Amino acid sequence: MLSEKETGRYSRQISYIGEEGQERLKSAHVVLAGTGGLGCPAAAYLCAAGVGRLTLIDSDQVELANLNRQILHWEKDIGRNKVISAREKLEAMNPWVIIEDIFETVTMKNAPALTEQASLIIDALDNFSARYALNHAALQNGIPCIHGAVCGLDGHITTVIPGRTACLQCIFPHPPGGSDVPVIGTTPGIIGLLQAHEAIKLITGIGTVLENRLLIWDGRDSSIATVHLERDPECRACGINSSYATRTGERQ
Amino acid sequence: MKVVVRAFARFREVVGDVNTLDIPEGSGIQELLTALGARSHECRDLLFDEEGRVREHIIVMVNRRRLARNAIASTVLSEEDEVAIYPPVAGG
Repeated sequence: MLSEKETGRYSRQISYIGEEGQERLKSAHVVLAGTGGLGCPAAAYLCAAGVGRLTLIDSDQVELANLNRQILHWEKDIGRNKVISAREKLEAMNPWVIIEDIFETVTMKNAPALTEQASLIIDALDNFSARYALNHAALQNGIPCIHGAVCGLDGHITTVIPGRTACLQCIFPHPPGGSDVPVIGTTPGIIGLLQAHEAIKLITGIGTVLENRLLIWDGRDSSIATVHLERDPECRACGINSSYATRTGERQ
Repeated sequence: MKVVVRAFARFREVVGDVNTLDIPEGSGIQELLTALGARSHECRDLLFDEEGRVREHIIVMVNRRRLARNAIASTVLSEEDEVAIYPPVAGG
């Protein structure tokens, strides 16, 4: 049930998604892996939209060089844990949202337990080994995962729905290199917001999400292209010979 | 025959936006990528590793369909096919 305060706070979106849509947002639990360039804008907009519970996962501390894009971390936060810095800002932004902080690195071992309570996962990480671990956990728990990545003026995003769409491993079977990449702050801003946008659509049921589509953003001329994707039957993570297929009965 | 090349992200900086490439009849993806790689050292470095193999992480699409890695060597192109190349990004 929404309080009068909440109905007022979200009135401009309730007129679009209805109180039922707002209730869905309030009941949702989004696990956001990474509170950097992608995670900050994604978390800020999901918090403002009234997602009921947001779990932030990150094991980094705020550095000076983060501040051109990681908008929840400020000058005074340098040296502090990112999850704490982000949680403080989000709690101040919207006291109706429950924010949890988990100071951990996402690994194959811990990812399933970190995400099992989620209604959906946002992959706002900065390296492919952790992204693959999150993908495995999403498949294992049957939870949609919204993947986004950036470099320089380039970014991409897709929504992975276990059993229905290509998974991260199908799309990117070999990890792209490079972690300390150049980045113009607005690039993760745009992709992070698209991730929040996909999350709001998935939770409320409005519109259609990027299922089996990879959206590619080119910031040089501000153009967007989408390419069609398919599941790879030979995929190590979700293909016919994977433990995922055996467990879900997809392997016939 | 003429094929259209759509380059994304870093490739677009190096190869240009959309190119129509004239390649011999019966050419495949491998020949097309080799022709692109011959344009400059930067092009070749983006597409091929030190041993001359197409870099593993690069995504190649033919007529907007993702091409499986093991199909690169065997895929033959036809007139007006569209080949898209995307080097995925990883940062966050």
